[in-house]
Amino acid sequence: MNDFFSASGHLDWGVFALVVFTGLWFLLFDLVWRLSNVGIGRLVVAMSVGWVVGLGLVWLTLYR
Amino acid sequence: MEMAILVLQIAALCLLAAAILLWALYFPHPSPLIRRWLPPRKRWPEAQVRVWLKRGKFQRAFLRHFYSDPERVAPAGTSMVAPADGLVTSAEVRGDVRYLVIALSFWDMHVQRSPLAGKVVSVAAHGDDFMDGEGREFAFLREKHCPVQKRVVIATEAGQIAVRLITSIAARRIETWVSEGEDIGRGQRIGRILLGSTVVLELPAATRLLVRPGERVWAGQTPVAEGLAIR
Repeated sequence: MNDFFSASGHLDWGVFALVVFTGLWFLLFDLVWRLSNVGIGRLVVAMSVGWVVGLGLVWLTLYR
Repeated sequence: MEMAILVLQIAALCLLAAAILLWALYFPHPSPLIRRWLPPRKRWPEAQVRVWLKRGKFQRAFLRHFYSDPERVAPAGTSMVAPADGLVTSAEVRGDVRYLVIALSFWDMHVQRSPLAGKVVSVAAHGDDFMDGEGREFAFLREKHCPVQKRVVIATEAGQIAVRLITSIAARRIETWVSEGEDIGRGQRIGRILLGSTVVLELPAATRLLVRPGERVWAGQTPVAEGLAIR
């Protein structure tokens, strides 16, 4: 728990960014799924790639 | 300072959790948070509307959409405009009459409009019981056990036409806003089907159709036929 909160007294920005980005990405996935006529398999692959790229960007921004 | 950041972080996570909870509560139907970005057909999926139909309770936003009556601008020219929003399902000719059938979906506007300017010859109501007899030969009537109808006959320069508003006995609610002897304009509102279903435009068989089965039309706006064809 202490690790999670980090020494500075609030949530670690990396963990926070990961959780928020994942949640928002999931909600965006639902919206895109409803708006597009693409098959669910292809959409899952495309959104997963987007999620990994997003995580990479978060990591680069916060820990580089 | 750290405490304030922590509180803000927790608030943001709570908002996110609430959004995901809403998603889960409404799934497989769309969450209220994303409805505004979806077209009507996806905002209120058919399965959800059918459940509301069974219960007799509808979401207010859906009813507002269903009963909306947007302004329409008739195209220039003398072509006949569609009497209803919907999908053209057939354009069969029987004798001297062509029956242009337009099927309305849950997401179409349900106000009907006059295809041409003319004089209303009659407004007649039909059907309350199981229908057997000559009407049964028409597919658009056969599909319903008890088709409740109003038929508005209009005398126009292109000949006599009729707009038949059809719903089922379950809905049984058709309003007509024109009366016998009244002069009406092209694209003028003539009535509304309150829960349903089908509109049939009866034209002289010789008129030239501008739409085909499978095409979408909009009341008072889409030209569907023009003049009398040269034989």
